[in-house]
Amino acid sequence: MTFNDIISGLGITVLLPIVIFVLALVFKINSKKAFRSAVFIGIGFIGINLILGYFLNNLAPAAGKMVEFTGVNLPIVDVGWPAAAAIAFAGKVGLFVIPVTVLVNFLMYAFRWTNTINVDVWNYWHFAFTGGLVYALTGNVWLGVFASAINSALVLLLADWTAPAVQEYYKIPGISIPHGFSAAYLPIAIPLNWVLDKLHFDKIKSDPATIRKKWGIFGDPIIIGLALGIVVGFLGNMKDLGSIQAWFNILKLGMSMAGVMYIFPKMVAILMDGLIPISEGVREFMKARASKRKFHIGLDSAILVGDPAAIASAMILVPIAVILMVIIPQNQILLAVDLAVLPFMVVMTIPVTRGNIFKTVIIGTVIIAGGLLVGTNLSPLFTKAAIQAQFNMPSGVTQISSICDGSNPLSWLIVKLMNNGFSIAILIAIFFLFLYFYKKYEKGWGKIAGASKEYLEKSE
Amino acid sequence: MLRKRILVVCGTGIATSTVVARKLEEKLEEKGIDIETRQCKVAEVEGMLEKVDLIVATTPVPDNIKVPVVRTLAFLTGIGEDEAIEEITKKLKKRGGNE
Repeated sequence: MTFNDIISGLGITVLLPIVIFVLALVFKINSKKAFRSAVFIGIGFIGINLILGYFLNNLAPAAGKMVEFTGVNLPIVDVGWPAAAAIAFAGKVGLFVIPVTVLVNFLMYAFRWTNTINVDVWNYWHFAFTGGLVYALTGNVWLGVFASAINSALVLLLADWTAPAVQEYYKIPGISIPHGFSAAYLPIAIPLNWVLDKLHFDKIKSDPATIRKKWGIFGDPIIIGLALGIVVGFLGNMKDLGSIQAWFNILKLGMSMAGVMYIFPKMVAILMDGLIPISEGVREFMKARASKRKFHIGLDSAILVGDPAAIASAMILVPIAVILMVIIPQNQILLAVDLAVLPFMVVMTIPVTRGNIFKTVIIGTVIIAGGLLVGTNLSPLFTKAAIQAQFNMPSGVTQISSICDGSNPLSWLIVKLMNNGFSIAILIAIFFLFLYFYKKYEKGWGKIAGASKEYLEKSE
Repeated sequence: MLRKRILVVCGTGIATSTVVARKLEEKLEEKGIDIETRQCKVAEVEGMLEKVDLIVATTPVPDNIKVPVVRTLAFLTGIGEDEAIEEITKKLKKRGGNE
């Protein structure tokens, strides 16, 4: 048996736990905790695989019928971030992502290229995801690993860039947000915000509390699932609306989708539970080696998502996303699970717009429209990565994607540039140019990300 | 003290709240305090308040909640964990006295 045979034969539910167990021991976590942690990760994958299979088996045929009867062509199923994360960790690149990301962070900190210590091990999956797409594209694991490394390096810079703004607006000193998804939209949000300010849109104020009351229903994933299932079921059964069985099917699909929206993240929670000791191990390891120099602790953008302006903007964006999904002709994604994740798209735009919901919603609309196109474009690779990670893809399901990382512009950029030697050189050049100009004009850059002059001066 | 119920809140109800819930269980058990944790996301808080003694959140929580709230990142950063546990213990003991 070759090494490769062993890897494919064991499958991810055994392999990743073994890798995690070894990593945990390396980070000096006691073996009982390490073992429990490793097993939980395997269990998490089993749970995710179950739900993903259930979801695709139920939604895909209905979506197919919907296409037949209404001509609305949305054959790509949005399986959401839970699936994307599982695919990322389950792929070959996922096996390397934790040590590689820690190494890259460590080196960058040592070279004074970054002040962020990214202890958010769970979210390393975004980097593994980009790597997984590149592996699916090139067939070369090492290119995938390199892609994940560059992704994490770029995100560290984005985290530093946004740190003053995020710290000031959300009142969280000492923290930065090296989140592969939330941070990726900053380069788009900043110029858009500038344009909107020129149009005096910053004068338009809105109250988060009122919006929450009026639009609150769009914030509940169960309701989103129920509504989605009923609508897709209805459109798919338009020919048979006379038969009572069709109506039963519509209601059943509504319940299936509501169930998936609720249960899917819970399965992911099991996986995350397994990663906790490693996360702490990485954190203590890096903190112990950090010099007296100040550093930001890099955390999950989930700590920002409670902000009223972020929630309100995301709520309004849910129906907007559904409308965009239908009216954009090039889009082929049927939005589903990730309608619940829109707050993460806007959390780092909020400091840029200073909490202005109107501007944030406009920026969000542009981002989602672009995201639908990116997601449609990346879907073949996404689907291939899932198959390579040995996920339960039921027959007859053509494509999957997600509006979360499947539509991440940074991932898209990296994937496109990892295509050949010349473009890889461009990618590396982009990193160094970003590093150079950011370091040179740090305060100016901090300001356009939303920090005030006073805060920037205080933190010198 | 009777078993206390703590509602752990974060942005998604599964990411950082899982970390915090585990840490609370571990640290409070060391102090002999029996707790039961539930996790939820910020958007769901209003509906989950029944019999909750304390809310521990990693993200901003609406102002009009009647239950005491401790908002902290200490369990995520590893900095200030002991102080956070002190504050949580104090608030739990206060709740116990009112029953």
